[in-house]
Amino acid sequence: MDHVLELKNLNVTYINKERKVMAVRSASLTIDKGDALGLVGESGSGKTTLAMAVLRLLSQAEVTGEAIFRGNNLLTMNNEQLNQIRWTGIAVVFQKAMNSLSAVHRIRTQIEDIYRVHYPKATAEEIAERMKALLRLVNMPERVYGLYPHEMSGGMLQRIAIAIALLHNPQLLIFDEATTALDVVTQGQILHEMVELEKTMDMTRIMITHDMSVVAASCNRVAVMYAGELVEIGPVREVIRTPLHPYTKGLMDAYPSLTGKITALKSIPGSLPDLSKPIIGCPFAARCARKIDKCYTEKPPMVAYDNGRQAACWLAGGNA
Amino acid sequence: MSVFLAKARHGIASALKDTQLRIGVIAILVLILVMIFRPVLMTVDPYYYGPDILAAPGENGHILGTNKLGQDIYSMLIEGIMVSLQVAVISAMISGILGVLIGGISGYFGGKVDTVVSEIINIFMMLPTFFLILLIIALFGNSILNVMVVIGLTTWPSNAKLMRAQALSLRERTFVKSAIAMGETKIQILLKYIIPNGIFPVVANTTMGMAWAILTEASLSFLGLGDPNVISWGQMIYDGKAYLTSAWWISTFAGLAIVLTVIIFYFLGDGLNHVLNPKYVAGRNK
Amino acid sequence: MKRYLFRRILSGILTILVVLGINFVIIKAAPGDPIRTLMGPENDDPVLRAALTEKWGLDDPPLQQFAAYLTNALQGDLGTSIIYNRSVNDMIWEKVGATVLLGFSSALLSLLIGTALGIVAAKREGSALDVLSSNISYTLNAMPSFWLGLMLIILFATQLKLFPSYGMTNARADYQGFAYVLDVLHHMFLPALTLILVSIPQYFRIAKSSVLQVSNEDFIVALRATGMPEKKIFNKYIFRNAILPTITIFGISMAYLITGVSLIEIVFAWPGMGRLVLTAITQRDYPTLQGIYLVMSVSVAVMTLVVDIVYTLFDPRIRFN
Repeated sequence: MDHVLELKNLNVTYINKERKVMAVRSASLTIDKGDALGLVGESGSGKTTLAMAVLRLLSQAEVTGEAIFRGNNLLTMNNEQLNQIRWTGIAVVFQKAMNSLSAVHRIRTQIEDIYRVHYPKATAEEIAERMKALLRLVNMPERVYGLYPHEMSGGMLQRIAIAIALLHNPQLLIFDEATTALDVVTQGQILHEMVELEKTMDMTRIMITHDMSVVAASCNRVAVMYAGELVEIGPVREVIRTPLHPYTKGLMDAYPSLTGKITALKSIPGSLPDLSKPIIGCPFAARCARKIDKCYTEKPPMVAYDNGRQAACWLAGGNA
Repeated sequence: MSVFLAKARHGIASALKDTQLRIGVIAILVLILVMIFRPVLMTVDPYYYGPDILAAPGENGHILGTNKLGQDIYSMLIEGIMVSLQVAVISAMISGILGVLIGGISGYFGGKVDTVVSEIINIFMMLPTFFLILLIIALFGNSILNVMVVIGLTTWPSNAKLMRAQALSLRERTFVKSAIAMGETKIQILLKYIIPNGIFPVVANTTMGMAWAILTEASLSFLGLGDPNVISWGQMIYDGKAYLTSAWWISTFAGLAIVLTVIIFYFLGDGLNHVLNPKYVAGRNK
Repeated sequence: MKRYLFRRILSGILTILVVLGINFVIIKAAPGDPIRTLMGPENDDPVLRAALTEKWGLDDPPLQQFAAYLTNALQGDLGTSIIYNRSVNDMIWEKVGATVLLGFSSALLSLLIGTALGIVAAKREGSALDVLSSNISYTLNAMPSFWLGLMLIILFATQLKLFPSYGMTNARADYQGFAYVLDVLHHMFLPALTLILVSIPQYFRIAKSSVLQVSNEDFIVALRATGMPEKKIFNKYIFRNAILPTITIFGISMAYLITGVSLIEIVFAWPGMGRLVLTAITQRDYPTLQGIYLVMSVSVAVMTLVVDIVYTLFDPRIRFN
């Protein structure tokens, strides 16, 4: 079966004058048509780095492995081919839309430029037509087309960013912490609108977030990252109900339940390991409540279980 | 106070890692040493009107030549370090102290005081400072002391502005609020917490101010408003102007001395800015 | 926006009033007696003294003097030169043209050259070109402008004999039309070169740091993600965003035009305000000095306001706030 995107052993290392930081290590992941994959992890887990590396948007970083999209490895193709795929094949909605747009140009100007990257002969009217249709889709009034970014609120801009991402009907949409900077109410609205939108058009998306509730509300699959490594992958419901990896369990426990007894909040003690040094054994070992000796010396491989579930933990086998 | 010392200690340690700052500090120390040991380093008494008039560099043991009055240029240059450093330091101190106090009070006390003082600061920052200094020196006399004081009295606004911005943000900090809760008076807080913590950008700015002071003194001398009784590099350029075609060395070397010294202060200032404000270096810190 | 303008104009007016106040106060506070300067140290004629005191109003109470000074100044009368007995207005008006010619053309050229170099240095950060131009800029910034002028005279006028070292025109030849223009340009070359060299650093520095800063901003990465070619991103988006501080700097240099140019004019005996300043200083012609200070300050206040307005044309964020 053809995956929309297949990552094989992706490694991303940031090179700095003094040191190298291995931000993503041996990440392997597949995304199929219609998937809404939540890529979850705390700050510094490497999730944004992963997405940016796939599109080669990182400066000063060494990326190895494969990122296969439409049969070609994005990491090794030349710049022209890559630029063709950008936006038409894969589009991104960034965290703060205000920061994704030039402050001194009108929205219209930037959209026309973005559109004409791939269709240089398009007229202003054609572009306006297309954009206005998309604006309607994201519940935005047409008049915002002629405004400057700073004239709008964060929520409005985020919706516009989604519309811009849909310009060329990309096969894959990446939402990089797209709702993190918004207040809870707006975040809820946008997530809801997104799910509604999906009912009318085919969308395959990756939702990068640190917030498990966003994943629960809008995704069908989830991939959990810790310290640059993927530790668990699987269908959302099942992972949330019965997490295989102790880190995932820790993430679940950190969320208070809206129903049921009042229990103490459990946070995960400790902090991320130093990513500039190679990690021996499981990266989560030092913070894990259920570690055994083997966890410190041998890195657990990602093992596939039933129902499309995967986990990288020596103790996961017994629970599957 | 201990916060200040801790910050300062940490600051100095990481500071000396910055190349520009290192070079600047070493160079300044060298200048000071040269100034202290000048009797040894000079070849002749700079004030001595020797027999060799307008000698070219190299003639008769005059490394850099002599001027119309027979004074040895090389020795004059060394003597001139004193005036330059004095002007720089004294004007910077006056400007710094005034700026920190006024800016600190304005920013911390806020309210009407702040509105009025900010407006004053803005107006003074707009006024052509150099010309004002010129006017005052023309009126009040051109002794070197006047020059130092006047530069100090006219350049405090930029320091005040920086200090005020710091005071404004510092007064919201928890440790200040807890000091208020513990009953410390406004003056105490200002002197113990606000100023020591906010003074760092002012220090960097003051260093640039020192460079400006040296250039200003030179410009004043060039206009004939310098102090003819002291040997200053600016005065030397002024004296050499009449002999530009016949004795180029008089103006040239004095100017080079200024350029070098100003660069040293620039290094100090830039280095301090790097250290105190890492974002100052535009670029890759994502 | 209107409120902003109103506040700025108010500030400007306040500034001018402050300048007038300063002018007035320092004269009063200064040691010495202006009448004495005028009459010269030998003259003691009581009749002349009385006449002068009457004329300059120095016997009236201070507040009255200030009021008189204010009304005069606000009507455009900057007083009469003690030395030349001419209206300060006229004297300034005569000379200001030459200053503006030299100052404006130098400022424009240094903006273009400095900014262009700064942009290239930012694009090729770390390259030999960048290092070289940054160091040259740094050194130029440390030079006293008048000294650089003197050095250029030594090099070009004395040694190479390529350019004249003083004046605006060749007084002996009586050039007309195009030949006149060429002559002026020939004389303007060295002073302009001096001014340009000392002004390039500020444009270089701001252009380079601004381009670097904008290049690292998020929206540039976002644009890259759309497949937009680097060239377009740079020429349209980075440039337009990075150019904003340059506008401010240019405006500021326009504001301080007279001050900046004066020293150079003195070096090259260019017949502008600078010369006026020098003679006024040496002869302690205070009304002229005060008049010049006032004109400078007004120009600063006005130009700052103009810059603020022009800036809003370029930065829509300010426009709508």
